[in-house]
Amino acid sequence: MARVNWFPLWNSLRIAAISTGITFFLGLFAAQRITSAPRWLKGALDTVLTLPLVLPPTVVGFFILMFLGPKGPLGSLIKAWFGWTITMRWQAAVIAVTIVTFPLMYRTVRGAFDAFDEQLIQAGRTLGLTDAFLFWRVKLPGCRDGILAGVVLSFARGLGEYGATSMVAGYIANRTATISTSVAYFWQIGENGPAYFWVAVNLVISLAVMTLVNLLERRRAA
Amino acid sequence: MNRKLRAMIAVAAALCLLAGPAAMAEAVVELNVFAAASLTESLNQIAELYKAVQPDVTLAFNFDSSGTLQTQIESGAQADVFLSAAEKQMDALAGGGYLLDGTRADLLNNKAVLIVPEGSALGLKSFEDVAGDSVKLVALGNSDVPVGQYAQDVFTALGIWDKVSAKASLGANVKEVLSQVQSGAVDCGVAYLTDAATAKGVTVVAEAPEGSHKPVVYPGAVLRASANADAAKAFLAYLTTPDAVKVFQSVGFTMAAP
Repeated sequence: MARVNWFPLWNSLRIAAISTGITFFLGLFAAQRITSAPRWLKGALDTVLTLPLVLPPTVVGFFILMFLGPKGPLGSLIKAWFGWTITMRWQAAVIAVTIVTFPLMYRTVRGAFDAFDEQLIQAGRTLGLTDAFLFWRVKLPGCRDGILAGVVLSFARGLGEYGATSMVAGYIANRTATISTSVAYFWQIGENGPAYFWVAVNLVISLAVMTLVNLLERRRAA
Repeated sequence: MNRKLRAMIAVAAALCLLAGPAAMAEAVVELNVFAAASLTESLNQIAELYKAVQPDVTLAFNFDSSGTLQTQIESGAQADVFLSAAEKQMDALAGGGYLLDGTRADLLNNKAVLIVPEGSALGLKSFEDVAGDSVKLVALGNSDVPVGQYAQDVFTALGIWDKVSAKASLGANVKEVLSQVQSGAVDCGVAYLTDAATAKGVTVVAEAPEGSHKPVVYPGAVLRASANADAAKAFLAYLTTPDAVKVFQSVGFTMAAP
């Protein structure tokens, strides 16, 4: 066990955690705005925002490379201003994972918001409470289980991201290696021992996470 | 749905089922050629020429790292011809009895080179420079990829492998290495002379020092499990004819000594 390089675990966890944090706020923001949007706009936005759910991760990875690569429209600007290249770094994986997991958070939160009794908000307004207070202290706690399920699902999906991550961050030992890219790497070079090890690690984490999701969903339905 | 419509759909479906096997019975011989990724451009050109020579043979290429192709063949993939970028993978298949006796021959030679993104301002001049601090990331093939193995040989011979591997982005085949260098996301990479010749956006800065790696030899062979052994042998033979040689040389390959 002492010879195991634990970097992929730490890297996968931090990428998934940071991405989940970002999608948490983005998802809440989008869901809240879109729930109150006009019907025609709602449908269109729903489609666009859930697109990454059905796109192959390689398509997402390709777009990120084209835009954020050092010769791409956005990437070359970043390079000119900050002297920094984002691709081939773990931060690029954060972007990839955020895009890929956003639909999960968005859909789950939208569902929870749609099921929320708006009369509570209206009642609160008659009592003179601000919209901000009502959102953070009435609506969110009321949708807590749904939101938590979204968070956990996004985290789990983010932990298991492979295609987009592999394309935008590559495999650099101790810098961008994740659990999933490590499994692919070790399999490719014929070292099945380490591959099995990381498969097992991923299984354990995924089982734990999905158990949590199921517990949360059951509480919500109860 | 009324009965007439249903009947028509049933007939159409039946026709489709019949058309499949019928089409295949009249079809040309399809040769599955598993070839190292560095042969992509040259073999695609040769395939065009081959159409005129053998119009009833279609070539279906599977380009990838020789290690990946070896694994695929060992896992039962249907291949007729295997062209590897190193002896190692061909030896492994020979040992496993996958090759058709008497068909293995050395075909081409290539060179490992250090490449940088076009317009790179780092001023790299040799393989030794890769160990320097100005190089933050170098793209190499992983240890399953021949060009990765050659690169490791070179850097080990220069005594800088540990330093270089600590900042290496490992690709699954030479085309991945190339695309990372082309994108400018890495400072340099090690690929083949032939890839640098056909790729846009990369510049060759150095060739591997003489003797620092095993000679880059591309062997070819017909696979024992091939259902079209004669067509496969004919294709392999075509690769040494003057027309094919011209294509290989135009991208930077040299022909191996027979």
